[in-house]
Formats: sequence, C-alpha cells, structure tokens
Amino acid sequence: MSEATSQAQSPPEDVIDGEEVPTELDTVNNSGGFSVIRPEKLSLLYPSVNLHGHDVGVVQANHPAPSKRLLYYFEIYVKNVGAKVGKLIVMDIMAIGDDGRLYRGHAKGEAFGPTYTTGDTVGGGINYSAQEFFFTKNGAVVGTVFKEVKGPLFPTVAVHSQNEEVTVNFGKDPFVFDIKAYEEEQRAKDHSKLDNISIQQDASYRIVRCYLQHYGYEDTLKLFNIAAQTNLSPASDDRLNDQYSTYALNERRNLLQLIRSGKIDDTFSMLGQLYPHVVQDGTSAICFLLHCQKFIELVRDAKLEDAILYGRTEFQKFKNLSGVDELVKDCAALLAYGDPSKSSVGYLLQDSQGELVADAVNAAILHTNSRVKDARLCMHSSLERLIRQVTACYLEKSSLEWDQGEAFQLRRMVESGKKG
Amino acid sequence: MPLFLVVIWKLSKIYNMAAKKLITRADWEKKLNDVKVGKEDMNKLVMNFLVTEGYVEVAEKFRTESGTEPDIDLATITDRMMVKKAVQEGNVEDAIEKVNDLNPEILDTNPQLFFHLQQQRLIELIRNGKVEEALEFAQEELAPRGEENQSFLEELERTVALLAFEDVANSPVGDLLDMSQRFKTASEVNAAILTSQSHEKDPKLPSLLKILVMVQNQLGEKAIYPRINDFSTAALEDGTI
Repeated sequence: MSEATSQAQSPPEDVIDGEEVPTELDTVNNSGGFSVIRPEKLSLLYPSVNLHGHDVGVVQANHPAPSKRLLYYFEIYVKNVGAKVGKLIVMDIMAIGDDGRLYRGHAKGEAFGPTYTTGDTVGGGINYSAQEFFFTKNGAVVGTVFKEVKGPLFPTVAVHSQNEEVTVNFGKDPFVFDIKAYEEEQRAKDHSKLDNISIQQDASYRIVRCYLQHYGYEDTLKLFNIAAQTNLSPASDDRLNDQYSTYALNERRNLLQLIRSGKIDDTFSMLGQLYPHVVQDGTSAICFLLHCQKFIELVRDAKLEDAILYGRTEFQKFKNLSGVDELVKDCAALLAYGDPSKSSVGYLLQDSQGELVADAVNAAILHTNSRVKDARLCMHSSLERLIRQVTACYLEKSSLEWDQGEAFQLRRMVESGKKG
Repeated sequence: MPLFLVVIWKLSKIYNMAAKKLITRADWEKKLNDVKVGKEDMNKLVMNFLVTEGYVEVAEKFRTESGTEPDIDLATITDRMMVKKAVQEGNVEDAIEKVNDLNPEILDTNPQLFFHLQQQRLIELIRNGKVEEALEFAQEELAPRGEENQSFLEELERTVALLAFEDVANSPVGDLLDMSQRFKTASEVNAAILTSQSHEKDPKLPSLLKILVMVQNQLGEKAIYPRINDFSTAALEDGTI
C-alpha cells in the first residue's frame, strides 16, 4: 500500500509487485441506478431522488485487494453524510463473499462501531497476518473483526441516505490513518512470537564458520575461530563438515582473491596447474564466465581494442553453449558507452559480477573433492540452504492459504532496523 | 470404546493425514533451486552477526576479504567491547565512566541498567571484603533508588543479605557472587549501548533460524515435505507422517 502513495502526481499503478490493486471504482459492475459514480471514478453519490428506504447504492473497486502482503487498506472520506447519520456497517466497507461477487440488495450486516458524519474519514483494511478486518475513523482504529480470509475481496463502498456523497482513496493520496505504523506494530507482534522458540546455542556460530570456509574467506576464518572458541563446543560431526568446507581452502582463497582483483590470466594459469580438468574443456561454462570477466576487466581498464580482439577470439567458441547469449550481448554492449558504468549494462562492472564468477569457480573446485558423496552438498553453504528452505516454505505455505501473506525476503531482514 | 467407534476414529486420523499435501523430494528440490539468494545479502547477514557479537578484528578482516561494509562504525564496537569487558572483570566504576564517555544519555534513560550496575559495584565491594564501604555505598547510592521502585528494593535487600552469611556460596543469595551475574549485567550494558546507537541489539541470524523453525512447523500442518532439522549441516531430511 505504501508503494502506491509514493507520488501523488503520477497515475496510480494498476499492478504492484505482480498483483492487481484497486485504483478506482468499477463503473461496469455496480448496483446501477441507486448511486452515481463521478467521472474520476473515485466518488460516489446517492441521488436526492426519493428512493425506497432499503435501496442501497453499492459499488466495488475495479480490482480485488492484493493478498501477497501483510496488510491492505483503503479510506473513504465522507463529503456529505446525507439525510441520516450513518453507522459503520461491516458490509459497507468490504464485500465479504467467497466468490467476490457484488453484494446486492438490502443493507444487511451487523452494525459496528461508532457512527460517522460529514467530514469523517473512515477506513477499512485486511490484516492477513492476524486474519482479521480492521476499521478506522479519523486516524484511529475503531474495531477489528476476526474472519478467516479466503478468496479475493473487493473493497466496497455503499451509500444509502439522500445526498450522501463519499470519496474513496485507494492510496493515490496519503491516508489519514498511519498505516505504516500499524504495519510495524503487526510486524513487531509477529516477531515477538519468535521469542518462545529456542534454537541450539552454537548453531549460528557453526553456520558462520561454514560460510567463511565455503567461500574461501580464510583470514577471516582464522580470526573467527579464535574469537568464537568459547562459544563453539567441539563436536564430532564438526570434522565431517570441515572435510567438505575446508577442502582446498587455501587454494580456493587464493583463486578467489585473484578473480576479485581482476587477474583473470593468473586465475587461468593457477587453475591449469592445480585443477586442470576444471578448465580442460575450453567450452565449459566456467571458462565462459572467466573469459567474460577478462573482457569486462579490459573494458574497465579502457583497453577497448584489446577487448574487441579478445572477444572476437574467445566468444565464438561458446556459441554452442546454451544460455550464454544474454551475457555475451551485455558484455559486447559495454563497448558502446563512454561511461559504461552508468549504462544499463553497468552491472557487469560491479563487484557482484566478479563475485558470481568467483562463486562458480569455488563450486567447481569444491566439486573435485572425491570424499563428498553428494555433490549437491558442495554447491551451497549451509546458510544458503537455510535461506532457500525458509523462502520455499513461505511460498508453499502461501499457496496453500489462498496466496496470502508476505513472502520471505532476505533483503528486508538485512535492511531492517536501520534508522536514518 | 466400541470397536465401531475405534475404527471410525482411526479412519478419521488417516483421512486427516491424507488431507495433507505430499511434496516429493524431487519436487521440493526444484522449488529450492528456483529461489534466488543474493551473495551480498548473505555477506551482510554474516557481517551483522560479527558486529553484534563484538568481533571487531574479525569484522575488519571480513570487510577486507569480502568487500562488505559493516552497518555500524567499527570503532564504536571497540568502545562497547571495552565496557563489556570492564563489567565482566568486575571493574564496574570503570565501566560506568566509559559508558558515560560514549553517551551520557544511556544511563540517564535507563534507570534499571544503572541500578544493576550499581548493584554489581556493591557485589564487588562485598566480594572484596570491604564491608564498611559496602554498607555506606548501599545506604547512600542504592537505598534512595530502592525507595522509588519496589523491585529495586527487593534486589537491594538480596544483595545486602550477602553480608549476613558465613558460607555465602551455599546461601540463598550465593548466585549473586557468580561470574554469571557479572555476565548478565555485561549483556545488559551491551544491549543498551547497541540500542542507543540505533542498532538492533540482537543479531539477525538467530532470528532467521527461529523463523525457519516456525514456518516449517506451520507448513508441516498442511503438507508433508523434506525438512531441515539440523541447522549446522542444513541437510534435507525426508518428511515423515
């Protein structure tokens, strides 16, 4: 929801994070005749014509509320409460139907919460984490209703007294209610549920150690082992793990440092000496990545003629390798720019590209460990496997629960808690 | 229970199990492979761990080897570690001075922490046999705080009670003389300093592990799938009914 409020000037996005979001009132599917929707499709008016007391003008939003998030929220500003002072009725705000079909007919539903009048802003929201609806008035929560949320829900606006007019805000303008704070509160509540879970004392230390071993951060590892010795209990299975992760630690460290500093020729020669079969096949993916990196380094050093020559010689060897076209194209595109780092292919000049190559070489060497029965164990550090497991579990859980709730994002966890 | 009912009950149990979605190892591994994990983010997670634990040298070296920037100034870690060390070694006055040098607001805004530091001072005086000094300190510094707060008063009384026992180690208040008491106070100071520096006081990695425990259990209610039970090896184990 917060993403939609970022710029009041630009038109509201219909799709956020791959999900459709409500942006305006639906002029096609409405209860027709009992209400008038203004041209900008964000205001609703109940005409002054004397209609039957039970006739309600009910209008839905154009899309259902997105569900792959913690909360969804929207607000209604009561421009004119009309002849009768209204009572907030649950059915006024959300069309609660498993099929999301428009609620027609009489205004049924429990009377709920305080009344509202001209000038009030009332809001309705879905809290997917707590599985409840919540309602606000003029910036304060006035109540919640527990309801297992299943299926798409359409924000719904209803008017039923003469001259009643309301304006709806789906996020184009800032909300009166502090939705961000409410979201933070919910996150904090969810986080505190973790307090009761206990994990093995030294698990974190082992994971960090395995990580440092896996990626060849040898010097860091040495210092870490000393610093953490009081916290790491020696266990018999450590030796088993170490067999995998400390395999060729020194060689890997040296090779990775070479790649990170752009010395690709040295990398090739060292690999040729120590692990010849990794680079034996000149058309392998590893060789391809290394050659690309060399190309990138030449561009970085502004040796464009050398780069072109190099590219011409090397890249054609890989035309039978699948999936390389994108990378070759992007690398070649670097030549087109005076300042390639600011271009769309600038990412190739960043450390992350070198890291990718380093990680691939690292995995290739770990693969040569004959003691490892399951080659897959070398591919990733235990930390990475854990992160994949958390992510996959969340996705699966969400798909089994009507696609609700936030996905796990490592980025968000890493960036959280930062202030200023 | 009549046989008929027992059969129904057992059938319903089997039905419930059958109601869980079964995900094979192969399918699950495919889902795992589809997950993209950023190296940069993992590096940051590790750096966050090193920094929160206070391993300054390790963090510095990691920064050099991996190019990851720590999320707080490493110099502040050294200061924080010195305070922690001072408390762990029983030099509470020294620790208090250092905390105030770092940020005078920390103790001002944290009366409980301040009380615990003063309490530790009292414990150290008693440990060193300075009975008169201890009593004077208790009466002048700690008693006024105790009047403001019931739980402070109770802790004060417990601490002063140390003086009453011949064999302190076996007394009901003997735990106060343990090193663990020093470590407890040291952790409290560590957390307060981290908070004052707008840094979360707990490293994120253990939270990640707890989240994994929680989500695996939640998913386990609806599906049978391979789990990771040993976090050190992070090996997949086939799901069991």
